[in-house]
Amino acid sequence: MAIIKFENVTFRYESDEEGVALAPAVKDFSLSIEKGEFVAILGHNGSGKSTLAKLANGLLLPEKGRVLVDGMDTVNEEDDIKIKQTVGVVFQNPDNQIVATIVEEDVAFGPENLGIEPTEIRRRVDSALKTVGMYEYRKHGPHKLSGGQKQRVAIAGIIAMEPRCIILDEPTAMLDPIGRRDVMNAIKRLNRDLGITVVFITHYMEEAVEADRIVVMDDSRLLMDGTPKEVFADATKIRSIGLDVPQTCQLSELLRADGIKLKNDLLSIDELVENIDALLKGK
Amino acid sequence: MIKDITLGQYFPMHSFVHKMDPRMKLLFVTSFIVMVFLSNNFISLGFCLLVTAFVIAISKIPLKTVLKGLRPIILIIAITSILQIAYNEGGIVLVDIWRIKITSGGVLTAVFMALRISLLIVMSTMLTYTTSPTSLTNGLDRIFAPFKKIGLDFHTITMIMTIALRFIPTLIEEVDKIMSAQKSRGANFEQGNIIKRAKALIPLFIPLLFNSIRRAYELANAMTCRCYNGGQGKTTMNALKFSYRDYIALGSVAGVIASVILLNIYCGEYNAEFTFGITV
Ligand SMILES: Nc1ncnc2c1ncn2[C@@H]1O[C@H](COP(=O)(O)OP(=O)(O)OP(=O)(O)O)[C@@H](O)[C@H]1O
Ligand SMILES: [Mg+2]
Repeated sequence: MAIIKFENVTFRYESDEEGVALAPAVKDFSLSIEKGEFVAILGHNGSGKSTLAKLANGLLLPEKGRVLVDGMDTVNEEDDIKIKQTVGVVFQNPDNQIVATIVEEDVAFGPENLGIEPTEIRRRVDSALKTVGMYEYRKHGPHKLSGGQKQRVAIAGIIAMEPRCIILDEPTAMLDPIGRRDVMNAIKRLNRDLGITVVFITHYMEEAVEADRIVVMDDSRLLMDGTPKEVFADATKIRSIGLDVPQTCQLSELLRADGIKLKNDLLSIDELVENIDALLKGK
Repeated sequence: MIKDITLGQYFPMHSFVHKMDPRMKLLFVTSFIVMVFLSNNFISLGFCLLVTAFVIAISKIPLKTVLKGLRPIILIIAITSILQIAYNEGGIVLVDIWRIKITSGGVLTAVFMALRISLLIVMSTMLTYTTSPTSLTNGLDRIFAPFKKIGLDFHTITMIMTIALRFIPTLIEEVDKIMSAQKSRGANFEQGNIIKRAKALIPLFIPLLFNSIRRAYELANAMTCRCYNGGQGKTTMNALKFSYRDYIALGSVAGVIASVILLNIYCGEYNAEFTFGITV
């Protein structure tokens, strides 16, 4: 069974003015995310990515269609806590996700709300902080941490609830390159070592290629769905909706335009080098 | 300037006071405050001063930091003192020039009041200096839990307190940021008369308010994602437990109450006369 399943979901925000209907932020959207996957979601500003994240754990409820989390429909009130425990969401601004004044007390917030035993909370908090590499900072005040460190604390706060799926909505958007790398590593560890399903919303192509699967949204709809190689092979389509392709794709594209017969799905520098090497040797 | 605010600041350290149960600290501080109010002579108040000094000493918080907490209320103390000196006419006349008449009663009452206010503030800041906000609110939560049965839900209030304390540094940082942004566009917060300065603050508070609303909205979402449902069935990681420290503190509470009452009774009259009519 899919961990998250969108079935023909349409969602529209309420307008501030009465009688004026806004255009849907998500339109007739269907997608199935399997357990253990690492999915990246791409799309330009306002294409509906954040709305999708909020629909996925019942923060928002669909107008049409339905969202199933591990088989539970998000409109069912009784399953609300269970759904939020199964699918955790980390947002863009770490400052607005941290509740407590001490790192470890913040990470404990979720498990405490779930009514878990104190000794078990302690275990989870310690292990969550170790997973994201913030264990040494457990007694610190969050306002003294860097953006990347704060974001890792926010991630720890979610994994302490032991969810089976984590959705991260542009968690690296406000960070510097080092903060971004640290957060990215922590996320990869969640997927690889803990087997947590990861849905990763981002604007950075270099981050998206790390995923097993890329979903591209355009204008509230699903535009593309496939492996990074499949998606970036069609550079023209990606560009037509205002997104970039990874630099390796750009380079190989330019070389191809000059008549050099490179493949069109080279995502890593190593692959590109190998391909060029093979061509040179072949000549 | 705004960074000087120490309200609600917590200094994590390992000390007897830090390790006390927040509920016991609350009990201690409230009974201490009552006793300071009840002290009616210098000996009782002097005893309270000794207690405060002792608490500061064992808390390992530097005296300088503690005194810094008094800074915001220096003005209040000054005004109270001046009013006392100006209007209290008991005792011997010390100075009598033109219309200014200072009496020993006035001076002593002023000192008494200043000491009393300072003790109240210092002991209350000691509470926040040595207790993490979460542990403080946990304590309040537990103390007020019985009220839930009669429909009074204190959990919401304590949660609001925690969040307020958590966001004070964030908002201060934001004010600084917006101020710099406005200054770089020629705003002037330091010059001109009061009205001009107040006007200069408007472009500061509008974005601050706007951002705070957005923050509140995002925080609410984040809390919902972490299964917050108004504190029903909530447990706490650091479960509160009384230790030997708290029984010692309980003994001290009884000791302080008894001492102040006895000192009030036995030194009260003599001192009341000596200090020229200081009563509660
Ligand atoms: N609270 C809201 N009220 C009304 N409209 C909203 C609200 N939030 C988002 N929208 C609108 O819904 C659409 C989709 O927004 P959404 O935030 O999901 O986009 P996004 O893909 O996450 O964009 P970004 O990359 O900028 O984060 C946009 O047109 C946006 O203006
Ligand atoms: Mg978004």
